Amino acid sequence: MATPVLEIKDLHVAIDGTPIIKGLTLSVKGGEVHAIMGPNGTGKTSLAQTLMGHPHYTVTSGQVLLDGQDVLAMRTDQRARAGLFLAMQYPSEISGVTTANFLRTAINSLRATQDKKPITLKEFRDRLDEAMRYLEMDLQFANRYLNEGFSGGEKKRNEILQMLMLHPRIAVLDEIDSGLDIDAIKVVAKGVHSLVGTEFGALVITHYQRILAYLKPDVVHIMIDGRIVKSGDKSLAEELETKGYDWVRQEFVHEI
Amino acid sequence: MAPMANATPTDQVRKFAAEQFGDEPIWLRNRRNRLLEVYLAAPLPVRQRTSLKSRKLDRIPIGSAPTAADLPDDLQNLYQVANLITVNGHTKHLSVPTTWSDQGVILLPMTQAVNTAPQLIEEYLGTVVNDEADKFQALNSALWQDGIFLYVPARVTLDHPITVTHFGSSDVSNVLPRSLVVLDEEARATIIEQYLSEPGREKSLWAIATEIVLKDGAHLQYGAMQQLAVTAESFVRRGAQIGRDAHIYWSLGEFGSSLSIAEHTSLLSAPGGQSDSTTVFFGSETQHQDYVSVAKHVAPHTTSRMVARGVMKDDSRSVFTGVTEIKKGALGTDGRQKEKILMLSDTARADVIPSLLIEENDVFAAHAASAGPVDAASIFYLMSRGLSEAEAIRMVVHGFLATVIDAIPVDVLRHNVWNAVERKIAE
Repeated sequence: MATPVLEIKDLHVAIDGTPIIKGLTLSVKGGEVHAIMGPNGTGKTSLAQTLMGHPHYTVTSGQVLLDGQDVLAMRTDQRARAGLFLAMQYPSEISGVTTANFLRTAINSLRATQDKKPITLKEFRDRLDEAMRYLEMDLQFANRYLNEGFSGGEKKRNEILQMLMLHPRIAVLDEIDSGLDIDAIKVVAKGVHSLVGTEFGALVITHYQRILAYLKPDVVHIMIDGRIVKSGDKSLAEELETKGYDWVRQEFVHEI
Repeated sequence: MAPMANATPTDQVRKFAAEQFGDEPIWLRNRRNRLLEVYLAAPLPVRQRTSLKSRKLDRIPIGSAPTAADLPDDLQNLYQVANLITVNGHTKHLSVPTTWSDQGVILLPMTQAVNTAPQLIEEYLGTVVNDEADKFQALNSALWQDGIFLYVPARVTLDHPITVTHFGSSDVSNVLPRSLVVLDEEARATIIEQYLSEPGREKSLWAIATEIVLKDGAHLQYGAMQQLAVTAESFVRRGAQIGRDAHIYWSLGEFGSSLSIAEHTSLLSAPGGQSDSTTVFFGSETQHQDYVSVAKHVAPHTTSRMVARGVMKDDSRSVFTGVTEIKKGALGTDGRQKEKILMLSDTARADVIPSLLIEENDVFAAHAASAGPVDAASIFYLMSRGLSEAEAIRMVVHGFLATVIDAIPVDVLRHNVWNAVERKIAE
């Protein structure tokens, strides 16, 4: 399969008529890890949710293309089948549905669109065990109800587990590092790196520089007030960490 | 007020009863005749949230013998598994393992048990369910047809579940199954009653009654699956009298019938008695379901657990009333109930009415009830992994019911309930 490309072009998004994202342009290709950093309330999560098609957000103008296809015209499930993945900041708890059962259903939904046969139980189990071992998760995890009673860290690991199992083409990770200790952050970074290649790219949304030390992004974007105000290499993240967002505001926001 | 005139003139109903039950013992005929007059004279039951008047139940003829019928092809396999099959109220099939008969177990159609075990029938019939509770109970009590009679002697454990199927064909106008289950001291049994029917051109009326007597230390798992056709209107009453340290597990699945009015009562009349009750219901289209679950604690140190889970689709309507009644003197009683309803449509309606009626101080009683729509965030989450909206909803409904259905202790019944749920979701 060809290298995926996610293109966001001059995107404007509003919630209940209030503009949240105000002209955002960004492009992520297979093999690349991009990071978006920014203070709270700047529209990072809104961007992630909009990319996945959350009904709460209204795109007022702009384009989102995945391999040239109009993502905004797709339903959420169609976006997933096209290869988009969102690791959510607050994943829902689904009572009564085991993580394993859910994952198998999801894999088969994706396979159905690719005209593939459903995954066999054996293959599924093997892959699941392998992915869980890789992420240093207790294998019992798969039998627990999806996210129900999971700690914050367990939920985040579960998002990465899903990503590994579903093999998306472009993954958006929304604050995957929040509430994680350093060991867990390393595991998450390892999970992302295991996929990165010509057929996989990632857009990592974070508040802190910490995870970027492990993720080693190719590009770091700084987002303020619904726009990307500055892009650079990973040294930008380090600079931001020392100087703070006020520096960014003073230095860059007026330029736009 | 004039008695409700059913489509069949009252004299004709009396004549039908005289002919139909002419061979029965005199005490039973007298009993039927007395209750027939109660039925004929009684007004329609008045239910707070269910209007019966508009349903024109009086147009359904009573007391007409249906033509002979059999199970449809797709249900023929029941002959291999069911212990008792009734079609239009008459026994078609009976199968009793010889090992059970050797142990003194009596398993018979009710009309046969009247002749084979008359003392037991006379002793217990009508002692648990109030025959005059309302018009439709009186109808069942007067004109009842075959249900199951089960007697398990003291300390006998039945090694596998008893299954009973009640089937109504498309031309039947009423089916009135009556069952009586008596477990002697420390006996153990599992029984499942299933109700099925073909849709007819006219409405059919089902009045169902099951009485259960548990002697000291007896344990019964009682399951029921109601999957009647949309042309059926059903009235169900079940009661269990629970002896010292006896335990009943109710697992009730309510899926079919356009009107479904059902009540089950655990009478905890001796210390140490326990009742565990689970009701799962699923309403769709314009179904109207009105359920009452009662745990009546009369004796001290009795326990009840009442759980209900309902899913409401389309324009369906449900009422679930849970009653935990703790009488004066029932010290150390523990009664809890939990009801949860999942709404899949804006035009469906559900009322959950938990009530605790407590006359004693030193007791524990609690209830929790909720009704709400499917969580939009959950649907988004599942869809973000590639599930279609329909698949996502199916998964959430599945999960909502899983904790309750997976706890049903009888495999056959659990599978049946899951199948019924799948069918309702896909409908």
